[in-house]
Amino acid sequence: MNEADLAQVLSQVRAGDADAWGELYRQYAPAIFRFCRRLLPAREDAEDATTEIFMKVRQKLGTYDSSRPFTAWLYKVASNHCWDTLRRRRIRQDLETGDVDAMPLEHPDPGQLERLQNEHTSKEVRTGLAKLPDRARAALVLRYYADMSYDEIADTLGVRRAFVGVLLLRARHQLRDALGETEAGLAAKSGGRKS
Amino acid sequence: MSPSDDPSASHFDEVTGLLYLEGQLDDDHAREVAEHLASCAACSQLLRALEKESVWLRESLTADDEPIPAHLIAAPQRGAAHWGWIAAFGLCAGGLYTLWNGMVEPWLAQASQAGFSQGNVLTMLFFTGAFWKGWDAMRSLTEFLAMATLGTVAIWLLRKQWRRFTAIAFVMGALACALALPPAASAADIEHGDPSYTLPAGQEVKNDLIVVADRTRIDGDVDGDLIVFSNTLTVNGHVKGDILAFGSAVRVNGPVDGNIRICSQALTLDSNVAKNVMVWTGALELDEKSAIGGSLTMFSGASELNGKVAGDLLAYSGTLEINGSLARDATIRGDRLVIGPTGEIQGQTKYTGRRQPEVASGAKLGSPIQITVPKRGPDYSRVGYYWHRVLFWGASFLFGLMLLLLAPGFFADAGQAAKRVGPAIGFGVLFLFATPIAAVIACITIVGLGVGITAFLLWGIAIYAAQVFVASWLGEKLLGEGVGMGPAIGRLALGLAIVRVLTMLPYAGQLVNFCVVVWGIGAIVLALHRRVTPQLAAAA
Repeated sequence: MNEADLAQVLSQVRAGDADAWGELYRQYAPAIFRFCRRLLPAREDAEDATTEIFMKVRQKLGTYDSSRPFTAWLYKVASNHCWDTLRRRRIRQDLETGDVDAMPLEHPDPGQLERLQNEHTSKEVRTGLAKLPDRARAALVLRYYADMSYDEIADTLGVRRAFVGVLLLRARHQLRDALGETEAGLAAKSGGRKS
Repeated sequence: MSPSDDPSASHFDEVTGLLYLEGQLDDDHAREVAEHLASCAACSQLLRALEKESVWLRESLTADDEPIPAHLIAAPQRGAAHWGWIAAFGLCAGGLYTLWNGMVEPWLAQASQAGFSQGNVLTMLFFTGAFWKGWDAMRSLTEFLAMATLGTVAIWLLRKQWRRFTAIAFVMGALACALALPPAASAADIEHGDPSYTLPAGQEVKNDLIVVADRTRIDGDVDGDLIVFSNTLTVNGHVKGDILAFGSAVRVNGPVDGNIRICSQALTLDSNVAKNVMVWTGALELDEKSAIGGSLTMFSGASELNGKVAGDLLAYSGTLEINGSLARDATIRGDRLVIGPTGEIQGQTKYTGRRQPEVASGAKLGSPIQITVPKRGPDYSRVGYYWHRVLFWGASFLFGLMLLLLAPGFFADAGQAAKRVGPAIGFGVLFLFATPIAAVIACITIVGLGVGITAFLLWGIAIYAAQVFVASWLGEKLLGEGVGMGPAIGRLALGLAIVRVLTMLPYAGQLVNFCVVVWGIGAIVLALHRRVTPQLAAAA
């Protein structure tokens, strides 16, 4: 859907056209569903969230500033919804901003990094992602799936902008560790079977 | 980074590298990093690795690995549509109840006046028979069960919203519920025999009496209900309420003003019972002088009825001998029926059994016995049998088609839910057995007759609809996941045909049928849960 078509569909949706709403939903629902799948722990949560996000989109469409990209606004609504969902489930966040700032980061071995990338499929990466703390997972998804800016990530996750880079890097380290643990586990299993 | 002559001594850290890659450094800082990279192979290598990692992450996360679920294909409409369905269901339930009250019950009353009453076993059991009138004794227990069932269902439905409630709100709500509960109906005397218990003649218990003993003898009077768990029980006194007893040998000689419900190995009744009698027993003997004012419902190995029964008789008995008199209709299913020379049945007699009934010459019957000889299993040699199977398939296919066209979203949800075999079967077993219990409880408690009957009707519909969703799942396994209405209809037709064939198998067919019902009901429950939950979230 090009920009002109999108603008027309959006104006029709604002005017209450059900067909236009259906078209808008069909266009963006799969991406939002996948976004929710990566951000929320259970499939059922993602399904519910997708429906609820689009209900919000329909309600809030009047507040959308058409000078900005629609997808950016849509992901902002989706990320706020998902983050609220996650936050309601936690009395205490997994990692507070101060903790993130204080964490030492070991300098990685570039060779090991490349090996990780070569040896793990997309599915394994997403499995590893699911093991991360909420904030780390959210940071990676907002940045590398929804393509959000550092300002938008900071605003959504409630951290200072200066911490977003640290947060992202920390999340990468945690993902590398999670994938490394999977490897170690598989190696131990195969070793055990051999013996 | 601190620039120096030796580039290796001033490697930038990983955060700086990432921020540089992502264009987040200010111009001066970015320039410094770029200059360093030009002379430092190690940092260049790290930056390349980080860049590749960014690409790898982006590709992994954006991979289109999972199609959107079928029930999310249609755009969500405003909440009114869902509430519309709920309102429609409510109106439908109200309509059914009105239909029952306005048409069915008056028709039954007319039929009763015309002498055709009690022909329907269901009506007899639930509306005029012993089930209905004698449950007062178990009211508190059933009310507790009703509350527990409703509470469990509510918690299950609300569990996703639970975290939104504060502990205080929960506690206050529970307290409010507790305050709203009616007070206990009455007190009861509880006696534990050591090992025997005897209520002497001349003594009277003013409350309900509950006895747990090895041998129990009631010679005195009980002003309320008598509830006994005892190896042997003999009642010679007057019981003004009901008798509810579990034991090995039970004998009731004294008058009973209420109902009798007894589960025992042997039971002898030699008394006047004002209301109904329901028994599960190995051997039943109704003595000549005994009289039952209401109906007699019995599940017995061998029975001899020598007394009088003023109401209807519903008997499931291996051998049944009738020498007394029955004032109304008799519905009997058993192996052998003997009506002696002094036997009398004033109403209609329906008998289902393999042997012909033996009727003595002096026996008095209001009308000839309607005899049905049951057949063991289906007759596979008859063409009609297969024709009926085809008709059944057609009926279920039409039903499934109607569901598919009228409620495609729900159909898709239930189909998806059927794929979760374990949860579906678990919930299926639970709801298959719990729903009728809850419906009976609803009928006899404050929840209401309308709710109970509606629950029964929905339960019956769910049992029939279960095959549709299992068949749809089966069809998908065989034909694959085609998109659109055509493939869905094809899957349904094929799946139903296979289910029908499997249920025709001797012996195993019954098991297949049961599994299909359980599985399908579970899928329906899971799908309904999915539908209801967003509404609760919206309402919260």
